[in-house]
Amino acid sequence: MTTGASSVVRALENAGVEFVFGVQGGAIMPVYDALYDSELSHVTMAHEQGAAHAADAYGYVTGRPGVCMATSGPGATNLVTGLADADMDSDPVVALTGQVPTEFVGSDAFQETDTTGVTRPITKESYFASDPDTVGDTVGEAYAMAERGRQGPTLVDLPKDVSNAETDHQPGPAKLPDTYRPPHDADSDAVSEAAAAFADAERPVILAGGGVVKANASEELFEFATEYGIPVVTTMPGIGSFPEDHDLAMSFAGMHGTGYANLALTLTDCMFAVGTRFDDRLTGGVETFAPDAEIIHADIDAAEISKNVQADYGLVGDAAAVIRQFTDAVPRAPDADEWREQCADWKDEYTLDYKIDEDGPVKPQFVVEAVDAATPDDTIVATGVGQHQMWACQYWTYTEPRTWVSSHGLGAMGYGVPAAIGARYAADDDQQVVCFDGDGSFLMTCQELTVAARENLDITVFVLNNEFIGMVRQWQDGFFDGRRMASEYDWVPEFDKLAEAFGATGFRIDDYDEVEDTVDAALNTDGPSVVDVHIDPSADVYPMVPSGGDNGLFALGGDHL
Amino acid sequence: MSSDESDDLNALPGSAPENRPRPEGRRNSQGIRIDPEVEAEPPRRRATVTALVQNEPGVLSEVSGLFSRRQYNIESLTVGTTQNPEWSRVTVVVEEPESNIEQISKQLDKLVPVIHTRELEDHAVSRELVLVKLDAEEPEKVHAITEMYDGTTLDAGPRTITVELTGAEREIDDALDALRQFNIREIARTGKTALARGETKTAIAPDRLK
Repeated sequence: MTTGASSVVRALENAGVEFVFGVQGGAIMPVYDALYDSELSHVTMAHEQGAAHAADAYGYVTGRPGVCMATSGPGATNLVTGLADADMDSDPVVALTGQVPTEFVGSDAFQETDTTGVTRPITKESYFASDPDTVGDTVGEAYAMAERGRQGPTLVDLPKDVSNAETDHQPGPAKLPDTYRPPHDADSDAVSEAAAAFADAERPVILAGGGVVKANASEELFEFATEYGIPVVTTMPGIGSFPEDHDLAMSFAGMHGTGYANLALTLTDCMFAVGTRFDDRLTGGVETFAPDAEIIHADIDAAEISKNVQADYGLVGDAAAVIRQFTDAVPRAPDADEWREQCADWKDEYTLDYKIDEDGPVKPQFVVEAVDAATPDDTIVATGVGQHQMWACQYWTYTEPRTWVSSHGLGAMGYGVPAAIGARYAADDDQQVVCFDGDGSFLMTCQELTVAARENLDITVFVLNNEFIGMVRQWQDGFFDGRRMASEYDWVPEFDKLAEAFGATGFRIDDYDEVEDTVDAALNTDGPSVVDVHIDPSADVYPMVPSGGDNGLFALGGDHL
Repeated sequence: MSSDESDDLNALPGSAPENRPRPEGRRNSQGIRIDPEVEAEPPRRRATVTALVQNEPGVLSEVSGLFSRRQYNIESLTVGTTQNPEWSRVTVVVEEPESNIEQISKQLDKLVPVIHTRELEDHAVSRELVLVKLDAEEPEKVHAITEMYDGTTLDAGPRTITVELTGAEREIDDALDALRQFNIREIARTGKTALARGETKTAIAPDRLK
């Protein structure tokens, strides 16, 4: 005989799970008790939001579901931000939550929340386990659902009586439900038609989204782009899918994307878009998004085709498979010499740049470039959300997939530190993990440093500290007549000292001449370190396409807003 | 002005927006390419969407949540069991632009308990049922109108009469108009339920589920 809780743990073991990120609590105690006898490593986080973000980053970096665990009620609701984040970014996550015993469900019992009800809109699937005989298989199904098809978060709610109950049933291997069949190859006739149109293009462009990363399709993308000489623009989640130091790389497009990427998307006559959902931060106003382009949209989720932007050709399938099909089907390379030259000219004209005053405060862009220069290409970059995140996109040169770990769709401030922790567990031992954070984002989840210190995790956090909620301040200056309501911190802690209190190593940068040595010292510190970088508080993020604006009219500075 | 000339310390190099090449075309708010001279917004139409679903807790909440989170306008939603006790059939009537109707089918298809979903043809067999409670002051007249619309009197008391009417939505609307003169006290409508006509299948279940 075994218990429901042991079946849950066995199902995780069967699926090959190595780490569980979680926080203990009443209703989940039986499952934790079953973990006591398991080979699984549990990472005790400071807060359940941290557990969810760590699992999310682990899932993103490895491509296999990250697992997080929390008790009922507040434990489960604290996971919500992390699950919503994973849902928006299609990151594979399995959440296990304790629940009050079945007989108390619906009675507003202590620490009871309708967890499946709360999480249903922000998960790929949310299960309520009602039977100790099948609970293990349900966890297996949740794992398979998170991993297969379009990835995403799943949740299994585990009432305490189900976890405690005895059962003689052992869970089988993780298995998809019969009603769920993820597509693989796209319809070959549709591929042929789209490929013929693509060959006729004069201004072709590839738009590579996060789906290229998720499908491990970077090699296929590289082969296709280089064989036919097609400029590659990425979305923000697509960063890393194509090496940004390549001649055909046009970097990322959208609200704070490069000018050349946004011009290429605006003026293309044929776009091969793979694994993107045409988010509004990418498209700006859809009325002016690639308005001259025939759009060939490949996605594993049929519901994404023509959801936000109408596709002239819809190809439903796995990104790697579809790119292979498409590469074979394109009859000849598009005649695009002029267009390639045009794209190269734009790369020169709209190069990202910033002005340095060596006696003035440090520009954040300089810090990002300095850390990039001091680290190997496979270094993983995690971020929070805000200005620092945009600078980390713009001024770091990404060359490998799964090295850019961020909160894209949800834009969840506080993602950075727990994501760096999750990425650390996912990364190879010799791979570096750095985190760029803002002072605002860092303050939301810096308590997770306690985990990094306890577990001696080698991560380096650079807090680009301007003592503002900087992106809000930038919008207030641009769109609210400079009325800086609630965006200015009158006081922030000394983050280097705060880090020391947590057991990490603290550093501080005030001037340009400290940057190189301090970056080196922090990177070479064993265990977690935090660098409080006092940056130029007036630095803003440009280029910028205002919300709902025209990508081709991106502003290069405040004068253009 | 070019931003090279700008005294804005944050400004980047490059041509100002007005000096850049511009596209010729335009899309509408649905992301569909249109003639830039025409600003037509897509018309709405009424559609009946049918879905065969597995009976499991939360499936109705998943279906209705799908509509509410997108602010889609549901005219009616019915659900009931089928010949297979493990399956239910959901019928939804919506009035939305074409692209939203397409989204509804695709989003429904994504839900794990949904076995098959599609939009039904206009000539599908469809019915709606309504119960109407009226004042009983003129029972003969109520009875006559009920007969005229092939309805049935379910309850007749000294003060109230309750009748049942079944038909296409338009017929029910007409019947209710005719009955309004007797002071309608309460109405309960089921919403439309429907099957595809003739040999056409309403939903196709894969063999592995049968």
